Amino acid sequence: MGPECQVMGLFTDEERAASAVQALEETPWQLKQVHSPIPSHKLSEALNLKKSKVGYFTLVGGIIGFFSGFALAMFTAAKWSLIVGGKPVIALVPFVIVGFEFTILFAVFGNVIGLLIQGGLPDFKGMEIYDPRCSGDHFGVLAACPEIEKGQLINYFKEKGGVTRVFES
Amino acid sequence: MLSLKNKRLVILGIALIAIGFLAFIIQVAGSHPERAWQAYLINFLLWSAIAQGGLLFSVIMHLTKAKWCGPLTNVSEVFAAFFPISFALFLILFLGKAHVFPWQHMDLHGKEVWLNVPFLFFRDGVALLILYGLGFTYLFYALQLKAIGAATGGRLRSFLDQKMGINPDVTRIHQRMSIFSVLYALAFAGVLSLIGYDLVMALDPHWISTLFGAYQFVKAFYVGLGGMIILASALYLTQGDSTGLTTTHFHNLGKLFFAFCLLWADFFYVQLVVIWYGNIPEETAYVIERTMVPPWNFLAWVVFIVAFVLPFFILLNKNVKTKPKFMMVLSAVILVGIWLEHLLLVGPALSHGSRSLPLGLWDGLITLGFLGLMIFAVVYFLDEFPELKRFQPAVEKR
Amino acid sequence: MSDLTYAKIDQTVLDTLRPATQVYWFTVALLAVGMLGGLACWIYQIFIGIGVGGQNNPVAWGTYLINFVFWVGIAHSGTLISAILHLFHAGWRNPIARAAETMTVFAVCTAGLFPFVHLGRAWMVYYMLPYPNQRTLWPNFQSPLMFDVVAISTYLTVSSLFWYTGLLPDLATVRDRSTGLRKKIFTILSMGWTGKMEQWRHYTRGYLFFAALATPLVISVHSVVSWDFALGVVPGWHTTIFAPYFVAGAIHSGLAMVLTLMIPLRKIFSYEKIITLEVLENVAKTIILTGLIVGFAYGTEFFIAWYSQNSIEIAIFKWRALGHYKVGFWIMVVCNTIIPLLLFIKKIRRSIIWLFVISIFINIGMWFERFVIIITSVARDFIPHAWGLYWPTVVEMGIMVGSFSLFFFLFVLFVKHMPSVSMTENKEMLAEGESHGA
Repeated sequence: MGPECQVMGLFTDEERAASAVQALEETPWQLKQVHSPIPSHKLSEALNLKKSKVGYFTLVGGIIGFFSGFALAMFTAAKWSLIVGGKPVIALVPFVIVGFEFTILFAVFGNVIGLLIQGGLPDFKGMEIYDPRCSGDHFGVLAACPEIEKGQLINYFKEKGGVTRVFES
Repeated sequence: MLSLKNKRLVILGIALIAIGFLAFIIQVAGSHPERAWQAYLINFLLWSAIAQGGLLFSVIMHLTKAKWCGPLTNVSEVFAAFFPISFALFLILFLGKAHVFPWQHMDLHGKEVWLNVPFLFFRDGVALLILYGLGFTYLFYALQLKAIGAATGGRLRSFLDQKMGINPDVTRIHQRMSIFSVLYALAFAGVLSLIGYDLVMALDPHWISTLFGAYQFVKAFYVGLGGMIILASALYLTQGDSTGLTTTHFHNLGKLFFAFCLLWADFFYVQLVVIWYGNIPEETAYVIERTMVPPWNFLAWVVFIVAFVLPFFILLNKNVKTKPKFMMVLSAVILVGIWLEHLLLVGPALSHGSRSLPLGLWDGLITLGFLGLMIFAVVYFLDEFPELKRFQPAVEKR
Repeated sequence: MSDLTYAKIDQTVLDTLRPATQVYWFTVALLAVGMLGGLACWIYQIFIGIGVGGQNNPVAWGTYLINFVFWVGIAHSGTLISAILHLFHAGWRNPIARAAETMTVFAVCTAGLFPFVHLGRAWMVYYMLPYPNQRTLWPNFQSPLMFDVVAISTYLTVSSLFWYTGLLPDLATVRDRSTGLRKKIFTILSMGWTGKMEQWRHYTRGYLFFAALATPLVISVHSVVSWDFALGVVPGWHTTIFAPYFVAGAIHSGLAMVLTLMIPLRKIFSYEKIITLEVLENVAKTIILTGLIVGFAYGTEFFIAWYSQNSIEIAIFKWRALGHYKVGFWIMVVCNTIIPLLLFIKKIRRSIIWLFVISIFINIGMWFERFVIIITSVARDFIPHAWGLYWPTVVEMGIMVGSFSLFFFLFVLFVKHMPSVSMTENKEMLAEGESHGA
């Protein structure tokens, strides 16, 4: 394999980008990644993306929060065991509120951690092979090919209706 | 097949109604008529709520201009068929006044001007007439957009077809629908609150909870959605895709059901925490009797688990909501849970001081009678308006 | 929406970030002066003592609590719009979600100041945190005030994270069209977001969970705030309806504030094609609903007060309507329940001026609602010889002006330096509109 280069096809139309992605499978070139300014349904179908696992982080966070909230409330109440207003020292009814809030708080922490880990953020390196038009109104389809076939790949994208940009390795 | 032409269904319906009626008569004539009337009250409230809440779905979908509902509004509108039966049942409730109004012989400290049988019956009767009248008016316009043309079905249908006319003015119909949906929604909140205060809260005349009315109508929408899931599933299982119902519809309906499960539980908790915390004996007596004292505390836990914990964990799962057979069973179980919740609210007042739960075979048989009435109403309506079994995109507003 | 394109959306929003005019900086300076005035009042209070406020016996809770509840309430509709309406797939939320969520974060920040101010000895606020100390003291989590600490901190944290997550793709858009210092700042803020479908996959799922978690949070937070009052036994406070009534009222005032903010914003920033009249009309329709709920609550409270035949309950409600503070009461009823009924009229719903004026009235009404609830119940509770009256002092009013200035200061700064309309969500709406052939 000779030196590789990467070519990005930029499309203003979601449909064309999706069809370019799908048709790329029949070519010998490798699809590297797809950029989009919006969470595009068509593109995620074309790429056959699986469901994200962020939810598990959220769930774990929520469970930790649920037990921490109750534990904190019960521990602090038991420390002094004061009967206030005739109410029992350790009571489920008011502690549900603390438990509930902590569940949400830690579930959100889990959610954020999951987002960062799974999404690989922050990802400043990823900006090296990137076109700023992709955050505006263009969908970027990045494919890799051997240096020799660069012209063919560029034509492929042009036929699909996009403009191109070449990234030399 | 959900139609009166289905002989087996007709026989089942008649059998259920007969069983319920006989069980009720036997109990009333027996040594414990108050048990019969207790079961009657519970069933009247629950089945009416299912119908009132069921229609509310279509009303809300219209008000929010929601597009995801599709044929679900058809399912919702069928429940209005129960309204006349509900009103008749309310009138019959008068016969049991000695047993369902325990405050009649109590010292009411000035509340007599509000809590007396003639005034109560008059205002609740008028309220139900208003609610049902508004519901039918809304339905009249909603059906015009779906049932344009072909006059199939019986006398009711031909009568209505005459009233509706052949080329209705779509814009005017949409306007009327909007007006009556607002009115129905307002009446729903007001009338169900009133019924809640009069027929449930007043059973313990010295206890108050400002949220009680709202709690009742939130619960009504919760059970209305449950009823809708059962009917939608039944339609889908008997008629398949011709109903226009898809997995997405069931999923969204299931999500809404889940949301109202949470809201109902939230309203329950909100009342509980304020009363628990204030610890004022006037208020806590009601809660203590129902949640901490046998035999009711057991029932309280059953209600909590069946109507909240169970649906909470099950309905979190996406796939479950898309399986009509399972959702039918789950909704039925939850409706039983809410039936028990009604018993929990009403029982300690009507069966004051009982050592064991006033729940037995007879209550179940009487409930079957009400189930038969609901089945009859729904199937009759579907026969009169077969368009509701088939999906037609609603005529767009021009 | 017919002639909007992705590029037009980007351009309209990015145009708002161009260097500001003199009028803008003058506004900022004016608001800063308001803030400093409030700060000066607070410093004065710290030196002289909490007595410079109007609180006394028996009315120990005054404008500090009123403003606290007011600002927390305003925060709620932001989350309603960005979280709850996201769950309902209501597309009309997209143009206003960003500004509404921003309003939420800043409103919670402003609200959070008031417990500090109200404390008097603000340097002892750390007592409220559960940490091991040599006095072996722990906060009492059975207290509704501690529920507040937990709920409000959770709400602030969750709202900020939700807001930031929503901003992320837009921050990348701004980064890609900036130069120099702004580019550097936005590069760091956007965390290297490149819009890879891999990133979107996790992002959409995470955002959905944010919305699903923020929804019960919103309902619980204002329920907790309402329980500051309802869990006591004071007549007029101890009532089960408070939690949903406060939540509905919060959304009512918040939506009104959304209109108050959006209407000038859309004029100044030329957002008319994005924040269309339909969007504002939908906000107005939701206000009708919340206004009706609030009216229902008022009616129910009066009815049940009579029904209870409890002489004290009846007395407090009579006094609210006819007593010393009756002006506040009737302002509350008229502004919150009667004036919003005008929105049933389509012409009024679609008139920018009417919407703006009505929104101001609702905000005034909701402020007075908190005034009526807090002050009247405490001024006259059980024992007549302990009755007293209350009126805010200049110091309190100064702090209140400071809080309003703070809120608008933060908001005005935000809209000129960050994208105040979500470019990403509006582009998404365009894409969905195309695919449905609408």
